[in-house]
Amino acid sequence: MQKARYDTDIVRSFVNWSIVWGLVAVLVGVIVSFQMVNPSLNFPPYFTFGRLRPIHTNAGIYGWGVGVIFATFLYMVQRLCRTPLWSPKLARFQLWFFNATIIASAVTLLLGYTTSKEYHEMEWPIDIMVVVLWVAFAVNVIMTIIKRKEERMYISLWYMMASLIGVAILYVVNAAEVPVSLFKSYSAYAGTNDANVEWWFGHNAVAMALTAPPLAMFYYFLPKTTRVPIYSHRLSIISFWSLIFMYLWTGAHHLLWTPVPDWIQTLAMAFSLMLIAPSWGSVFNGYLSMNGQWHQMRDNYLVKFLIVGITFYGLQTLQGPMQAIRTFSAFIHYTDWIPAHIHMGTMGWVSMIAFASIYYLVPRIYGRQLYSIPLANLQFWLILIGQLMWSISLWIAGVLQAGMWTAMNPDGSLTYTFMETMVEMYPYWWIRAAGGLVYLAGIIVFIYNLVMTVRRGENATVATVAAEGRA
Amino acid sequence: MDLASILYLGVTFGLFVIFALIVLRTYSKKRRKDGEIAKYRMLEDDDD
Repeated sequence: MQKARYDTDIVRSFVNWSIVWGLVAVLVGVIVSFQMVNPSLNFPPYFTFGRLRPIHTNAGIYGWGVGVIFATFLYMVQRLCRTPLWSPKLARFQLWFFNATIIASAVTLLLGYTTSKEYHEMEWPIDIMVVVLWVAFAVNVIMTIIKRKEERMYISLWYMMASLIGVAILYVVNAAEVPVSLFKSYSAYAGTNDANVEWWFGHNAVAMALTAPPLAMFYYFLPKTTRVPIYSHRLSIISFWSLIFMYLWTGAHHLLWTPVPDWIQTLAMAFSLMLIAPSWGSVFNGYLSMNGQWHQMRDNYLVKFLIVGITFYGLQTLQGPMQAIRTFSAFIHYTDWIPAHIHMGTMGWVSMIAFASIYYLVPRIYGRQLYSIPLANLQFWLILIGQLMWSISLWIAGVLQAGMWTAMNPDGSLTYTFMETMVEMYPYWWIRAAGGLVYLAGIIVFIYNLVMTVRRGENATVATVAAEGRA
Repeated sequence: MDLASILYLGVTFGLFVIFALIVLRTYSKKRRKDGEIAKYRMLEDDDD
């Protein structure tokens, strides 16, 4: 049978642009972390924490995260379906529209235009751009799946389809708003309904953009790297459907102890706890896939990224449900524990898998051997240490903060003022900022290694690239 | 519990039934081999 000619140019472009936006996200993240410890680094009106923080989160989620989703999905779908991309032209349009949307988002957020909804701050014209962008992407991927020449649908395709459909529904429902001018709109929902829809979106954006796609990548790139199949395809299918079944009910755990109806909070708490099962189904599937292959953790730098990444997924999906329990939530919600939790997921799980995916892709799409495996190993340690400094310091800070907020004198008055609790945070915030710098150093090593791979890497065939990983 | 709450739980239960059917189908003895073929197929060399 004649082999299909896959479109790699578009994958290259998305890889490159996702790295650009990833660098912006981390750079802005480091800047805002220093603004926290040194408020004089705020330069009103544009370069203040309030305006830069949403740029950090949106560049991270939509620029880096979604950029990597675009690159890897367009690579994987062609190979898993054994057919070229349905429309390369549509993918090219998607590339430029993606960058236009990210730039428009950054500029408007910097100018102070915001809906004030977390992870959905962009105003209504950009919402329309996001929807057009996602529909173009979804149509291309789904049409490629429909036209596939491979009868068997591998688990990664299921996660990809869930992400395509899930993100579309979540974004459109949460974007329902009434425009009153070119850059101002009001939510179509009011009060607790608005909060409920916002966190249904917010938590499931994590599910459909930051969980399903990295799982699709993990299930694809782990066996491709080790050359050994996953432990159980049937377990992966059950984990998938149970994840999809349970995730969409958990958003209200962000609203425990609020005026949202009590039974919705309880339902969200119960489903959050049940979610441990499908999450750990994938973690165990990953670990069991390494049976007899654990030596590759030492021999193959990609395996190290993938297995440590899935380990952080396991930790994240255990910590998350614990936080969704009412009593625990009452203690740690609104403290620095929460950003530590989020960053273990984004820096430890999602980005670790994204780095592994890009390391797998670049030698193949450029036909060059990786410039330096030692540099890849150095980057691994820098991002691991940076993330741990970040997360551990803020877990401690969060517990300290919660303890001080809830401490009471015998007469029932609060022991500490809010300012006293803030002053106690400074040492931990310094460690967080230092952790961010270490992580940024890891990103710079990563970019240097990739640039040198493209410019000076030795020419390689797919076979030599595959063998090189195990050198 | 009002009608909306009952409806909410009803939809949840309906989805649970669908999920249970998926589990039964995936783990049926008849489909044991069939369910694992995809993991071998994806490993076959597919690059141009």
